[in-house]
Amino acid sequence: MTDPITHDAADWVAGDAVILDPTGLHARPAVKLTKLAKTFAAAVEVRADGDERWVNAKSPNSVMKMKAAHGVPLHIRANGDDAADAVAALVALVERNFDV
Amino acid sequence: MTTEPSEVASGDALVTALIGAVHDTILAHRDELCDLDRAIGDADHGHNMARGFEAVAAASDEIAALPFGKALQKIGTTLVMKVGGASGPLYGSALMAAGKAGEDAPTSLVEVVARLEAAVDAVKQRGKSDVGAKTMLDVLVPVTEALKAGPADPLATARGTAAEALEATRPMVATKGRAAFLGERSAGHLDPGARSSELIIDAVCDVVEGR
Amino acid sequence: MSDNVAIVIVSHSRDVAKGAADMVHQMVGEEVRVAYAGGTEDGGLGTDVAAIMAAIETVWTEKGVAVLVDLGGAETNSEMAIEMLPDGKGEKVQILDAPVVEGAVMAATEAAGGSSLAEVRATAEDFGS
Repeated sequence: MTDPITHDAADWVAGDAVILDPTGLHARPAVKLTKLAKTFAAAVEVRADGDERWVNAKSPNSVMKMKAAHGVPLHIRANGDDAADAVAALVALVERNFDV
Repeated sequence: MTTEPSEVASGDALVTALIGAVHDTILAHRDELCDLDRAIGDADHGHNMARGFEAVAAASDEIAALPFGKALQKIGTTLVMKVGGASGPLYGSALMAAGKAGEDAPTSLVEVVARLEAAVDAVKQRGKSDVGAKTMLDVLVPVTEALKAGPADPLATARGTAAEALEATRPMVATKGRAAFLGERSAGHLDPGARSSELIIDAVCDVVEGR
Repeated sequence: MSDNVAIVIVSHSRDVAKGAADMVHQMVGEEVRVAYAGGTEDGGLGTDVAAIMAAIETVWTEKGVAVLVDLGGAETNSEMAIEMLPDGKGEKVQILDAPVVEGAVMAATEAAGGSSLAEVRATAEDFGS
């Protein structure tokens, strides 16, 4: 796993999407998000608006612990060769309300 | 392995007799074992053991044709697959370990003790348990220790020690297996696994005595 | 079918084992193979070595199998089943120290990305800690 601290801030590709599900980023969406993030080689991180820490989007445990609520903007950033694709895919997934 | 015919025949006969005797005693005490288990477990120890030893008895000829050590291992795997619950793997592990301790039937008390020790170690490891937890180990360990001391009358010692050790499980509080969920309430009942162990030891003594 | 680490769920209750397996299927999808073993032959509560062995064999892969167990006997019988697997298959099967339902979902989520058995184990065992 790439350690984000080694990356220059300028290398990150970023995006945002609002969580639509009335119960927030609960277990099933969290699983979908981590599964999708794992399909990219880039380091992918997420942060709920208001939280200070970025968490590894490929870690089911970390994403599930975020407990991001309904209506909260989710910040997504990626760093690596396919970073732009990763951010676009994750933003789209959140905007589609995780295909539920 | 000897190729001397009468020796092989006596090995066969020993295994057949042991299977028959243990099968008979388990079936005869099936309801009692279930009743003991009903008090502190889920009331199926008698049925589980009977199912296992019925499968062993059904394969008796095939098992008796094996060298003694292999025969014990085969009985062990049969019990694992057929008894179910926790007692299948525990008795199964015991017999598999005892079987691995040597190919030929034991001809001395020392050899019997070596197999018992292997069996006891296997049960301890499998059950992550030891004496005092109100389990079959509370019969198997004292009997093994008593025989290890080399008593003048091993059969009487084994029977007497098993009976006393079984009774000693009555006041014990279970800390292993399903009975552990009862905590203090498990005291006042004999442990069904200790009782089945004692029954098996008795049956084995009968066979050895009758030879 | 991609070759991902597979999951086996072992519970005293057939309903719990099946329910957890269903949940993994629905939450994680088809790319992780899940099998379960629960209850006794006669429909009671308990675990059965033969059934556990069969469940592991159904989903076994070179990549490894993660086994989630509930109470005491489920672990004992799973250990026995793993030891009795033929052809050294047991070396690639591990019992995870994690709650059955949560552990199975987390393990399967990690496995879905092609992670190793060690990574699957770490994710399931770290959950809640």
